Amino acid sequence: MPPIVSINDLVKTYPGGTRALDGISLDIQRGEFVVLIGLSGSGKSTLLRCINRLVDPTSGTILFDGIDVTTADRAAIRRVRRRIGMIFQQFNLVRRTSVFSNVLSGRLGYRSTWRTIASRPTSSDVAAAFENLGRVGIADRAFSRADALSGGQQQRVGIARALMQKPEVMLADEPVASLDPATSHSVMKYLEEINKKDHITVVCSLHFLSLARRYGTRVVALKAGQVAFDGKPAEIDERRFKEIYGEDAEEVEIGPDRPQPQPLAADGAEQVDPSR
Amino acid sequence: MAEYFTARGLPVPLELRRNPLTDWRRLTVIALVLLVLYIGLKITNIDTGRANPEYVINRIALLFKWDFSIMTPRDEFETYMDTAWWKMIETIFLGIMATAFSFVVALPLSFLGARNIMTGNPITAAIYAVVRVTFTILRSIDVLIVVIVLLAIFGPGNAAGVFGLAFHNIGVMGKLYSEAIEGIDAGPLEAITATGANRLQVVWAAVLPQITNPFISFTIYRLDANVRLAPVLGLVGGGGIGLDLFQSINLSQYGAAGLIIFMIVVTVATMDFVSAQIRKRLV
Ligand SMILES: Nc1ncnc2c1ncn2[C@@H]1O[C@H](COP(=O)(O)OP(=O)(O)O)[C@@H](O)[C@H]1O
Ligand SMILES: [Mg+2]
Repeated sequence: MPPIVSINDLVKTYPGGTRALDGISLDIQRGEFVVLIGLSGSGKSTLLRCINRLVDPTSGTILFDGIDVTTADRAAIRRVRRRIGMIFQQFNLVRRTSVFSNVLSGRLGYRSTWRTIASRPTSSDVAAAFENLGRVGIADRAFSRADALSGGQQQRVGIARALMQKPEVMLADEPVASLDPATSHSVMKYLEEINKKDHITVVCSLHFLSLARRYGTRVVALKAGQVAFDGKPAEIDERRFKEIYGEDAEEVEIGPDRPQPQPLAADGAEQVDPSR
Repeated sequence: MAEYFTARGLPVPLELRRNPLTDWRRLTVIALVLLVLYIGLKITNIDTGRANPEYVINRIALLFKWDFSIMTPRDEFETYMDTAWWKMIETIFLGIMATAFSFVVALPLSFLGARNIMTGNPITAAIYAVVRVTFTILRSIDVLIVVIVLLAIFGPGNAAGVFGLAFHNIGVMGKLYSEAIEGIDAGPLEAITATGANRLQVVWAAVLPQITNPFISFTIYRLDANVRLAPVLGLVGGGGIGLDLFQSINLSQYGAAGLIIFMIVVTVATMDFVSAQIRKRLV
């Protein structure tokens, strides 16, 4: 099968002159769970945003399912974007509006402008919104304001919003960097679930190597805009770790995988195990 | 104290080096302020000779002998439109219309005055600078001055009052709106763009929900301020109940003046309360 995402010699130079990506070549197969690691500033966010053209690459090509994203016109890019879900470190929900409208907005790429302005979602979209909220375990908070939810819950709303697109690829830019360890695992498990059950390809940048080892089927390490490592999580030994993160770095473990007893008992919803 | 530092070879903090009682800088400032106040007394020549206590109490008492005849037509030439309560309503609407005019002008301009929208390229950046400077100029000219200048165009009356209020208010509202737009969180815009939405959909789903409440809140706050200012406009010929107040004082009709002042106070206090209540719910 051809790769779902095929990146060839990708370069991104920002207006200030920073060369954030310096010749990246990468093929991502359908069904992979690719974890991007690397020091901050190594280009992870830039790479993720080039895939759905939130950032315009300077040179090189990106094929998404055979479509050249780098040369596609606006309308074509929008059609590509709706096949790619994305979640963010800061969740990026519209904070003042309800969880429900946030989730519904994941469907905008498929709907006409007038339907958006008239606030008339189709009944199938409404049904899908509840279904996806149910999947991430917060259907009961549908009509709360988004900013009334905890961080972990907000990120799950972000996942539900992305699922509304029925995406083939899910981009995740440090999705758990603002969360505590236990909550991090609860969010990562939803990503694992949509990867395994829905066969959505996941490309996820992470700060902690322990999370990368636990969830990734493949780890790609960036260093100064170049690929410094690309392989199985288990292949990252002490020497490779120091190559990626520098001589002085120490590996840290992030939290228990399955917290028992559960430290976040106050927020029961955080503990939902999607694999159950 | 200073020895602590000198003993250790450290620089002595400024506060410890100066004695407040002998520091010539402080003494100069105090002397200058006193000098200005002395000159001020001489030049303004404030004369309170007329206002002996008895006289003051007398006059204030007159203000509370309300003359209710101004609430109904007083002779066959007057209609209900000449009554004080009608003038009060008219004055409130002066403030409302001024707010409406400034809203219509300030709303589109505020987007041009928002840095996060306009600093993309040199041309829009220049427009941004011009718009913001314009807001500042409009804001810095007092309403009463503008009304007086507008007398030359519209003559005395409500037109000068409404546009004078609006002129100043465009500057204030424009700045408040622009700052609300600048305070938008870009994250949701990025997220909605990533779903494949078009630009209008992004504005609709990610920008508007972030600015509507602040915009409504600022508009109500300015409405409150304009209704508060409107009764004063009449004093310089800008229409409304201010003229009646001015005339009744000049004609020594203190009972009428007192009643008008009371109506203004009630109106302003009500507006203030209602506006605060609404804005509290909009956070
Ligand atoms: N919008 C931007 N303008 C200019 N430079 C940027 C911008 N975004 C990122 N950079 C620079 O590009 C480099 C890569 O950044 P980024 O992709 O955010 O890395 P990471 O996500 O791995 O921390 C950094 O040096 C960063 O300062
Ligand atoms: Mg980043």
